[in-house]
Amino acid sequence: MAGALDGLRVLEIGDLVGASYATKMLADLGADVVKIERPGRGDRSRQRGPFPGGTSHPEKSGLFLYLNTNKRGITLDLTSSRGHEVLDRLVRDADLLVHEVHPTDMAAHGLDWERLSAINPQLVMTSIAPFGMRGPHAAYRGSDVVTWSAGGIAQLNGDPQHPELPPLKAFGDQSGFQAGLNAAIPSLAALFARIGSGHGEHIEVSTQESIAAILELTFEYWPYCGLVASRLGAKPIQPLCFMECRDGWIFICCVEEHQWRAFVEIMGNPEWAEMELFENRLARGANFDALQVFLQEWCATQSVQELYDAAQARRVPFAPVSTMGDLVASPHLQARGFFATIDHPVAGAVTMPGAPWRMSATPWTLRRPAPCLGQHNAEVLGAIGLDASVLAAEGLL
Amino acid sequence: MTARRAPLEGIRVADFTWVWAGPFCTLQLAHLGAEVIRVETATRVCVTRMLPPFAEFKPGKNRSGYFNQFNQGKKSVTLDMKQPDALAVAKRLCESSDIVVENFAAGVMDRMGLGYEVLRALRPDVIMIALSGYGASGPDHDKVSYGPAQVPLSGMSALTGYRGFPPMHVGVSYGDPTGGLHGAVAVLAALLHRAKTGQGQYIDLSQWETSMAVLPEGLLAQTMNGASPERDGNRDPHMAPHGVFRTGGGDDRWVAIAIEDDAAWRRCTEIMGQPELAADARFATVVARKQHEDALEEVVTAWTMTHEPGDVTARLQAAGIPAFTVATNHDLADDPHLAARGYFVELEHPEVGVRKHAGVPWTMSASDSRVRRAAPCLGADTDQVLRDVCGYDDATIARLRDAKVLA
Repeated sequence: MAGALDGLRVLEIGDLVGASYATKMLADLGADVVKIERPGRGDRSRQRGPFPGGTSHPEKSGLFLYLNTNKRGITLDLTSSRGHEVLDRLVRDADLLVHEVHPTDMAAHGLDWERLSAINPQLVMTSIAPFGMRGPHAAYRGSDVVTWSAGGIAQLNGDPQHPELPPLKAFGDQSGFQAGLNAAIPSLAALFARIGSGHGEHIEVSTQESIAAILELTFEYWPYCGLVASRLGAKPIQPLCFMECRDGWIFICCVEEHQWRAFVEIMGNPEWAEMELFENRLARGANFDALQVFLQEWCATQSVQELYDAAQARRVPFAPVSTMGDLVASPHLQARGFFATIDHPVAGAVTMPGAPWRMSATPWTLRRPAPCLGQHNAEVLGAIGLDASVLAAEGLL
Repeated sequence: MTARRAPLEGIRVADFTWVWAGPFCTLQLAHLGAEVIRVETATRVCVTRMLPPFAEFKPGKNRSGYFNQFNQGKKSVTLDMKQPDALAVAKRLCESSDIVVENFAAGVMDRMGLGYEVLRALRPDVIMIALSGYGASGPDHDKVSYGPAQVPLSGMSALTGYRGFPPMHVGVSYGDPTGGLHGAVAVLAALLHRAKTGQGQYIDLSQWETSMAVLPEGLLAQTMNGASPERDGNRDPHMAPHGVFRTGGGDDRWVAIAIEDDAAWRRCTEIMGQPELAADARFATVVARKQHEDALEEVVTAWTMTHEPGDVTARLQAAGIPAFTVATNHDLADDPHLAARGYFVELEHPEVGVRKHAGVPWTMSASDSRVRRAAPCLGADTDQVLRDVCGYDDATIARLRDAKVLA
């Protein structure tokens, strides 16, 4: 079976997560992705790890190895005019170029849409920028904690009992993943539109807006009710909370009344559960301070797995607070073949998250490991009639 | 100049989703110009129609900001799948749709008589995607999952939190949008494949798995070293100062700052008016700053507390340092930058009037991608869809309505 995107030719100029994740999804679907890194240091994700044994090495960073599967890699100095000439040659044969060079630096890196689209009118170019390419903040710089905060999610996460603690970001570069997803979607749509129109186009993605798009029900509190959403507010409905069992943490999730009744049954119908304080989900929200004490006392004697199984047996959507070890060992994920292992010439065998979906006609594949820095210079540049050794001697690679 | 065309013009989506993950997937398709038809049931309406915020606090199934945000640009048809005649209507809708999307628990569509094999027999090139909690196969496939539960299940809660504190949420039911966006990517890839080969397919998406796809730094720490990173608040292993700092200008105002290297730290100390800090041995290099991070954060906070967050942002950004106010929903709604970009959508809705909603995070230079209409009132498009899409005449529609099929 062929991949859904077999034959699609993609260039990527990524640094950290956004563009790299967008093109990783395409590469894993079959696209031929060439990643362009700056000579010397390469993509910053090479420095981020995690590293085997904790020792930093540019070819062994877990984040880089995951984000760049199935890609070929070249190095190219895009800040020189000779570098721009090489980029132009590469663009001539490309369907899609995805990058996250900051808008302020794009021209200096040869990323001028007018010129590139004149070279290849079929090209789709997707530019990811922390605050977009237009508007008063277009020159602002971003980093995950900054765009996560600017997009409005950080403000929603905290501990109401500890107002002195700051708004809290989520683990990892989640701004980068959201921007990458929001880059892949219009990129594929533009390639679909191109079938009919015959021409490419330029797409601009704002990371801040990608975050502001996923505030669940909180953003609308302002336009609908004139209320400011805060990390310090109480949840209207309970119990939707973390509880510590004797062997780990569980997430208690009773949204509907029948789910609460089932949980009360699992707890052995304690008398306290019949108190008026807890008579419905709103009352349980209002009186959560009291509820929490009863629940914690009971949960402390339970095992996570038994409580999870008992709840699920009654169709109540509890979930364990999975540790990384739990996930890697999960029989369900193993049965689905979620984790994938690939040999890398320097890092050795690397096990990582695999297919995020199963497509019946077009498989997700792991065809090659992430490229070493400049690994495919000769192959990729040779294919467009350039001699990598000459370019290297010029200091371009 | 020819009129701008929507990328998915002429593509029809039968949308059997509810709550957030599925509707967020189909929202992307609506932005791209697909005709998205949400199939709803009046006797059991979408959870989000019944959740706040309601316009002016007045509950009503068309008044929820939650529903109205994530269903912009779609149509709504009501169909009571418990009525025997409803199945034939649903099948006609699927038969004339390019894409069928659902996010019920695994097996529910099969039991309703709308499984992939049935739909494929009606329309061989249909693309169907199921966004379930646990996926369609594997020993846990029939477990139930709600949005908030994906954050702990995926491992994100174990990694997110203040140092020394319990695992935490991330502020929203993050597995839902992450699953929905991955679903849109898969559907678009399947559409490209279909355009090339004429072949449709079935896509099994597990929200659990898409939630783990964005946690490589945690999962690879486990597979490489058998150890999980500890919860560490807003800190970063390779940058310092890095976090969210309290500011002046109000009781609960904060600014996010990321100092990416030593050069940025030197510029920061100059802006703080304390250039001597750059020479302080405790703070001279990122390694030293990580070792003395508590003291470092005290120094930074002492400075940020004397400024408003917007002032800190402007000063640091002028020196090329990533920084921004921790925005509230009110801040976003009034943000001049987002306004200048035209990010927010303000379209007339028959029951709540004009309200600000979040729009599309990308712009396309040639194609027409945007929010095309406000979210639909429950069942607003039932007659039009039954007539123009399913091909029923007025008499049949009236009969179906009398038989309570269209409720």
